[in-house]
Amino acid sequence: MSQTRLNKQRISVMRSVFCAIAITAPASALADWTKSWVIEWNEPAHYYGAETGVIDPGTDCPQGTNPELDWVEVLVKAGYTREEAEWLRNPANPTRSPVHGQQQMAFRGEGRANVYINPESYPDTGLAGVTGSIAEGINLDGNTDTGFVSPDGEAGIDNTFYKALGCWKTYRGPERLSSGALQFNDIMRNGSWTMLIVASGKGEDPMNDENVMVGFYMSQDNMVKGGDGNVAADYTFRIEPHKKYEGIFPAQTINGTIVSTESVTATLRDPGYTRDLELLDAQVKLTMNKDGSLRGYVGGYRPWRPVYDGWVYARGPVIESLTWVELPSVYYALKREADYSPEGSGGERTHISYALRVDALPAYVVTPDASALATEVRSYKDEAPELPAMARGSLGTIRVVDGIVIDPRSEYQPGPDAVILPE
Amino acid sequence: MSSRFNRRSLLRGMIGGATVSMGIPLLDLFLNENGTAFADGAPIPTRFGTYFWGLGLTDTPTGGTRWVPETVGPGYEITPELQALAAVKDKVSVFSGFRAIPDGRPNLVHWSGHASILSGVAPSSTGRFEGASFDTRVADALGGTTRFKVLDIDASVSRRPISYSTRSGSTFASPDVTPLDLYQRLFGEGFQDPNSDDWQPNPDIMLRQSVLSAVTDQRKALMDSVGHEDQIKLEQYFTSVRDMENQLAIQLQKPEPREACVIPTPPNEIERAASVDVVNANTKVMARLLAMGLACNQTRVFNFVHTGGTSETYIAGNSKIYHQITHDEPTDAQLGFQPETSKLAGLVMEGLGAFLNEIDGVKEGDGTLLDNCLICAFSDTGYAKIHSIENIPMFLAGGAGGRHKAGQHIHAPGESVTRVSLTAMQLAGAPVGEFGDGSMRTSRPVSEVMA
Amino acid sequence: MTHHPLRKLQALSALSSAVWGLCAASLLIPLSGFAQDSAVDQDDSITVAVRRLTESQYKNTIRDLFGDGIEINARFEPEQRENGLLAIGSATLSLTSSGFEQYFVLASSISDQVLGEERRASIMPCEPRSNVSDSACATEFISHIGSQLFRRPLSDAEIAARVQTAELGASQAEDFYAGLKLALTSLLVAPEFLFRIEQAEPDPEVAGRYRLDAYSKASRLSFMFWDTTPDAELLAAAGDGSLHGNAGLSAQLERLSRSPRMEAGARAFFEDMMQLDGFGNMVKDPAIYPKFNQLVADSAKEQMLKTVIDQLIVDQGDYRDLFTSNETFINRPLASVYQVPYISGEEWAEYEFPEDSDRAGILTQVGFLSLWAHPGTSSPTRRGIKIHEIFMCEPTPDPPADVDFSQVTDSEAGTVRGRLLDHMENTGCTVCHQRSDPPGLALEHFDGLGQLRKMENGQLIDVSADLFGKTFVGAKGLAEYLHDDPRAPSCLVRNVYAYGVAKAPGYQEREYLQQQAQVFADTGYRFASLFKQIAMTPEFFAVQLPEGLESAVASSDSAAQQD
Repeated sequence: MSQTRLNKQRISVMRSVFCAIAITAPASALADWTKSWVIEWNEPAHYYGAETGVIDPGTDCPQGTNPELDWVEVLVKAGYTREEAEWLRNPANPTRSPVHGQQQMAFRGEGRANVYINPESYPDTGLAGVTGSIAEGINLDGNTDTGFVSPDGEAGIDNTFYKALGCWKTYRGPERLSSGALQFNDIMRNGSWTMLIVASGKGEDPMNDENVMVGFYMSQDNMVKGGDGNVAADYTFRIEPHKKYEGIFPAQTINGTIVSTESVTATLRDPGYTRDLELLDAQVKLTMNKDGSLRGYVGGYRPWRPVYDGWVYARGPVIESLTWVELPSVYYALKREADYSPEGSGGERTHISYALRVDALPAYVVTPDASALATEVRSYKDEAPELPAMARGSLGTIRVVDGIVIDPRSEYQPGPDAVILPE
Repeated sequence: MSSRFNRRSLLRGMIGGATVSMGIPLLDLFLNENGTAFADGAPIPTRFGTYFWGLGLTDTPTGGTRWVPETVGPGYEITPELQALAAVKDKVSVFSGFRAIPDGRPNLVHWSGHASILSGVAPSSTGRFEGASFDTRVADALGGTTRFKVLDIDASVSRRPISYSTRSGSTFASPDVTPLDLYQRLFGEGFQDPNSDDWQPNPDIMLRQSVLSAVTDQRKALMDSVGHEDQIKLEQYFTSVRDMENQLAIQLQKPEPREACVIPTPPNEIERAASVDVVNANTKVMARLLAMGLACNQTRVFNFVHTGGTSETYIAGNSKIYHQITHDEPTDAQLGFQPETSKLAGLVMEGLGAFLNEIDGVKEGDGTLLDNCLICAFSDTGYAKIHSIENIPMFLAGGAGGRHKAGQHIHAPGESVTRVSLTAMQLAGAPVGEFGDGSMRTSRPVSEVMA
Repeated sequence: MTHHPLRKLQALSALSSAVWGLCAASLLIPLSGFAQDSAVDQDDSITVAVRRLTESQYKNTIRDLFGDGIEINARFEPEQRENGLLAIGSATLSLTSSGFEQYFVLASSISDQVLGEERRASIMPCEPRSNVSDSACATEFISHIGSQLFRRPLSDAEIAARVQTAELGASQAEDFYAGLKLALTSLLVAPEFLFRIEQAEPDPEVAGRYRLDAYSKASRLSFMFWDTTPDAELLAAAGDGSLHGNAGLSAQLERLSRSPRMEAGARAFFEDMMQLDGFGNMVKDPAIYPKFNQLVADSAKEQMLKTVIDQLIVDQGDYRDLFTSNETFINRPLASVYQVPYISGEEWAEYEFPEDSDRAGILTQVGFLSLWAHPGTSSPTRRGIKIHEIFMCEPTPDPPADVDFSQVTDSEAGTVRGRLLDHMENTGCTVCHQRSDPPGLALEHFDGLGQLRKMENGQLIDVSADLFGKTFVGAKGLAEYLHDDPRAPSCLVRNVYAYGVAKAPGYQEREYLQQQAQVFADTGYRFASLFKQIAMTPEFFAVQLPEGLESAVASSDSAAQQD
């Protein structure tokens, strides 16, 4: 009896890529060892100096987290009558926009200027900064006489971003519990973006290798949560070449800790409204744990103005009400603590020292075409598509102009000349 | 058996005639026959509803839960934020730990959670679902024989009417937003009083009967030549058909007077403010009207919104609204939760308590209206501070006509919310075997609560 | 059980079948003329089996007849596995009242979709002459669709009943299609559609014997090979009687097994045989197996099916190699569980277990290993029981009622081997456990999710096994053992036969099955031709008169006499 072979293509079994060879064959000669991870949590490295809670007084902030403001008083100080201020703060009144901004709050600068885009039209009302001596991060300038001491005693830690904003409620709290960290990591873990770390070296012992390269890359593949709700390990991620978000760090390993051997310029995806975490003189300090995970810091000097603008474009009145700050005081704090002038800035301190704390799980990282394990740490920027033009001014489906929401359907429109009280 | 054949022969005569009018005379023929055949024992129908409130309940990453009971299974204890449910606790099952799983889609704040519960899919943009909300499936199964297939109610006193019920995923229902609107719809023009004399049977039911009689006509031919075992199987099949015929026949009779149905007086207009006391008062009044609408058989399916996803409610006199407080209030170190947020969550739950108490206050048959309802209550988020879509609080209330083994706490961390949705549909009697998409696809209802 | 020869026989009207053959070839012709003849035939026919359609058979049928776009969402009543197969259980199932309600609502929803404005043009065999009433067109539609749903031509009475339903509904709603929807609903809730009613007729060649009628044969073949309703060509072969002849049957078998739809049939068979219906309800403790989620469960099932289809249907391989072959398919979630990178941008990719991976064959896939384990631990006993039951057709009785399980379930100490030794000291347990446990112990390098491990509670796991004197080590040893055990291919032959005829083979079929197992071995253990091999044997269509039928036949005869 003659047998007809079924046409394989008509059978719905995928047979295009035969991958067994790639998996079992030794890695390419570019590196002797490669390890890779996916970042499952990252947040500004802010040391919490209290024993309990998330806002209690501690060695970092002796007065505790910056307290809630009395917005009626703030508005009165800014020139509104008490009646107007109370009207503006009453939720029963139509001045509350559909997205809950008290829009008129923008106009409290000199001459009712919009304080979000003109912070200097408003006085510095003072944001209490960190007064403690302990901070997390990296000694960026190599000088042990300047900066904080790390929790385990290393001197010279540079992190004035922490000094400026570490007592702000958004940024303060134990690990994984400050509201900002919760908010942005939840978004990331639900799939908004994925960042990978690949380390490769040429030595015999990955734990002690003088010649290591570390790459931070984006991936279009989402993290997957397991049955326990946590990000699952050992998933495979493709490198997504990205024109902006990438960091390549020459380093060495010392007893399992990866430390930079030279400073570089890198831009990572910021777990915050700023989106771009541009770092000058960037370095890494990452420890490879026995269970396969990776934990440590990426540090460098970041431009501070985009940090401020990030909060403004997240809707100034909403951020101010929810996070208990006046945004102009955030502006002044960042400006005050800025500690770095890049070449060509004319001596102006446009940058501020910063550290990102990273927790990463073991993961497989493959080349952008998914044809092989990514064993070589190199830049993929040349292969990346051009970035779309930056579309500032919208937050999801909401249109934000100068820090406030424009709702064309609303009867009430805020502004310097808005009539506050009903006739 | 013989009555059915008679009816068919009558039909034949009618259709054979050249100028048949299929109006009332035909209906009368049906009625004359059925009126005596199924005189008693009309079953009380199961009603289904959804109840939505915004901003979840308090269960923080620091471990301070204010709503998840410690006891799993029957006899759970009343936690602080469930206080308002104490009176009906034995009729309410609590579901904790269930989550929406967006499979890599973004968590659209105050949207992805209930969109997942209702449509089984995490949507890709705010304002749309990717599929019908599941209440429409239940309405298709239950709602065909009443005046309103479904009632949509919004008690939230929001700027714009809120409904999460949709067939297309893009067009949402237009709810009644004031007690007066709801009263007019139910008891205004077109109200059919089940206790009045001029009751009309639903012609659709007769058509369904004719579908079945075409089947049972062939019974004899089929049963003639089968062995014992096959005969038993086919007998069971025809018994099932007969059960359904009986059900239909009962619906063609003038219903027994519905004692529970008492036409209410028109409500007063309420204050247009979104503070939680007003919303709760509104909820209570609208629940009472709805309960009468159900008792008077005007509808069997409803969707009720207490407060929207981005809830605009607040405590009167406080300058901060609930939504804002969930985000800005820090967790109290000693308490382990946000005290003001939890207080508001408790107040919001008073709405659900009042709602269920109203439904439970109507006597029906040997029990109450709530015993014959299955109400799926849920929110948009778990831990509202960060818009978490894990551990979204969900409840199933009411006995579903005996199908719901109520009064239990089901704790299933990591499981998909769609399992609860599927359970609700099946308890309500909707013919749905599978629900959801991707990681939220499930064919596993929560069998512990199913009798 | 013995065959009851019938004393009274009537000659078969071969003519009627021929007429149906013509009609079936062009299904658009109204069948009223033919149906009368069929009604005469039915007097001689007896029903020999009634099987409820499975969920997949129902869904495949609807999609084949009305298109992929039809949404079928219903809660199907649970199926029941008997003698190892759901197919055998299907012959014992009926419908409960709530189940019928579900089918009724589903039928209405399908009718609405099929005859809705968008689709009706592609379904209707005729255009109604009026918006309300056109009984000729209604008749044509009902007999056309009805014959596809009932898998045989409809009788006059069956058509007439639906035409009247259609007319009534059309007049009531003043809409032709509203009426037709009711008629279609009535066909969809009919027992003749929801059950596969197999009929036998007097065998014209052997007086006193019955044979399966041609339409029942067509259905049996179609549901076995394709898991769906017979297509027009198969119905035509039934209608013209060619299916009764060897040449005609052989031609159809050839066509059925060469079709790409054979994949669906093979999938349905292996899903049933390997008991893969358990994945929908699988539960794992998330604290112990955090990687597990529904996606992993679904993927694990799909991996098993893809492996089987690729090796046995696409490659037409040796069935026994399923136990030893390293070739399989993985996707991203499975790669995470297997702890290997996923080197593909596609949804699935071919994958070969490396030689040093401890894995070989279908039993070392996450699917088998996780399905037959506990929520928080592996289970050598369950795995062993299922290896015997599924692949060797050797079921294990339930454990005695008085066993103290407390020690066995303490998974905090030592390895499971030590805990199971306790069973061996209890003679009531030994008899089964000495058979069930050894193959399972050989798989102990895989935890309850199927992840590789070498240690349990700090102790090295011993994976050696001794099964009645046959010794082997680890998964690979077990794979070789099963590969060379003749019970495995014999069991497959038994299952294919039982699946096709939906009946557990009895003692009288023993010799037949032995012969078929020999043929299977002689032809190289090719599963791809096994369906054909079995379906070609006369035993496949043999009629066994059900108990209690004699009197029914007699009363039908006497009724005919009175006429």
